[in-house]
Amino acid sequence: MKLAAVDYVILAVYFAFVIGIGWVLRKKMSTSGDFLLSGRSLPVWITSLAFIAANLGAQELIGMAASGAKYGIMTAHFYWVGAIPAILFMGLFMMPFYYGSKARSVPEYLKMRFDEKTRGFNALTFAVMTVFSSGISMYALGLLLHLVLGWDFNMCVLASAGIVLAYTYLGGLTSAIYNEVLQFFLIVAGFAPLAILACYRAGGWEGIKSRLPANMTHSWHYMGHASENPMGVELFGMMAGLGFVLSFGYWCTNFLVVQRAMAAENMSAARRTPLIGAIPKMFLPFIVILPGIAAIALAQMTGAGGAHLYELPTKLVHGSVVKDYDQVLTTLMARFYPAGLLGVGLTGLMASFMSGMAGNVTAFNTVFTYDIYQSYIKKDAPDSHYLMVGKMTTIVGVLLSIGAAYVATLYNNIMDLLQLVFGFVNAPLFGTFLLGMFWKRTTGHGAFSGLVSGTGAAFATWALTVGEGKGGILGNLHTFPSTMAQNFWVAIMGFVVCVVVTTIVSLATTPRTDQEMEGLVYGLTKIRHDEGVVWYQRPAALAVVVLVLVILLNIWFA
Amino acid sequence: MLDLRVPSGWFFVILGAIVLAVGLVQPDLRAPLTEVNVNLYSGVSMLVFGGFLLLMARRALRK
Repeated sequence: MKLAAVDYVILAVYFAFVIGIGWVLRKKMSTSGDFLLSGRSLPVWITSLAFIAANLGAQELIGMAASGAKYGIMTAHFYWVGAIPAILFMGLFMMPFYYGSKARSVPEYLKMRFDEKTRGFNALTFAVMTVFSSGISMYALGLLLHLVLGWDFNMCVLASAGIVLAYTYLGGLTSAIYNEVLQFFLIVAGFAPLAILACYRAGGWEGIKSRLPANMTHSWHYMGHASENPMGVELFGMMAGLGFVLSFGYWCTNFLVVQRAMAAENMSAARRTPLIGAIPKMFLPFIVILPGIAAIALAQMTGAGGAHLYELPTKLVHGSVVKDYDQVLTTLMARFYPAGLLGVGLTGLMASFMSGMAGNVTAFNTVFTYDIYQSYIKKDAPDSHYLMVGKMTTIVGVLLSIGAAYVATLYNNIMDLLQLVFGFVNAPLFGTFLLGMFWKRTTGHGAFSGLVSGTGAAFATWALTVGEGKGGILGNLHTFPSTMAQNFWVAIMGFVVCVVVTTIVSLATTPRTDQEMEGLVYGLTKIRHDEGVVWYQRPAALAVVVLVLVILLNIWFA
Repeated sequence: MLDLRVPSGWFFVILGAIVLAVGLVQPDLRAPLTEVNVNLYSGVSMLVFGGFLLLMARRALRK
């Protein structure tokens, strides 16, 4: 792929705007709350788009096009089953406690509800996780740009990290969130044309359907048996593993996304943030997955001269040629975008990377400053001190991410391993929150032992089963048809063990008094029902609308 | 507080203008699989979107 001068101009304009936004906002950063929490003052349309964009990193964009080419429309389950229901639950039922408790972070909520050790466990694992996930995506981006444009890997990594650092250091969370909204628009502007052009060229949805095996164009029809669908998962594993444990664990407890809703200007806006964000989220598959599906149809079509319209990219692995689905998105761009639009598409890819990385960095500096530094290192300093620490942590967080990116270049397998470990930690987390928020009998000892044993159970499940050659380091009690099915079951086991252990230990230990838990637990918290406002400003009504829409989408592509 | 619609509006106006200009100056520019002048269409769309954001920001200012 070769870029023209105009493509570089577009990229430069984008860089100028993101840094400019940080520059304008720098004067508003006078307290640690302004810098790390946006002073809880942002309007709902901004927080809800940022809520979606912070999750829409470059890896997501590249990975969803790749999965579209590999699994077909079933990939949409990651949105319509594995995101929307969890997002609705978080807005309707969990946000009242997060926002109402005045906690500044998810780990801090755990401290208020349970105890110090539960917070410490969560804060530490989360901090490590954010650094590594932004490092890994930086590595992926650098590798991709090197591959398709021939750019220098070091320059890609350092320049993109430098720009994210500049605008998050200058304007803190507000700057990150503002830029996430701009980046979201840009991702749509850069990739919607690709979806339209590729789909049109492949003969529309009907044309794609006629060229692909039926199990790639139906999302539900072939779910009855794992061997019939391309993902190799069965209905229960997918619904419980992806649709419940993994998605609720991510969307309801991951501070990176929860932080966006917490920055909203009031309780109603905080609750509506995920609900409004769910609307663009459910239509994203048409932009991010559809091009991948169309690519498979195009690869079967021939143009003038009998040449295939599109060749699936390949790579060499241990001397044999295999398909490289991660390059589907960029190779499609090269086939469909002339100079000009190519610049927009490439800038969109950069934007998605930056929104993902800034999300990680701003979540990292908040958790480090409040939950690690203020809790364990220096308790009673004036606020200006924590503002300084927050700013310094932003720099340190970016440097650590760069370090993680280089670790990834050296030990690729270590990254796989780390992501696996984070999976083990995340799986039981939703169990802890569910019991903590909705059962006042849950105790700190119960929560902590549940988290630890759930993590252990997730690990044991992975170590004792095999999926496509992965796992099974301690033996093989069961073989899964795919690693995806294995991942789903690892999550299910982690969750179940966490819930059971938390319940048993809680019943054996003394709970806190009701007064101590006001505003933290269901039944001891007043939840406003927003009487007297228009229906579309009421969380429950919004949730119903979103739910109906997503059910219709599922039926449409069943 | 900075109204985000202003910078995003200008961003898309500028971006749209650049892409539209390419579409007008080089109307025959095509990628291998594209049959229409996509720069023209997407340039106009971005310009309109940017203009819409600026309009909304101005209306909010007048209130």
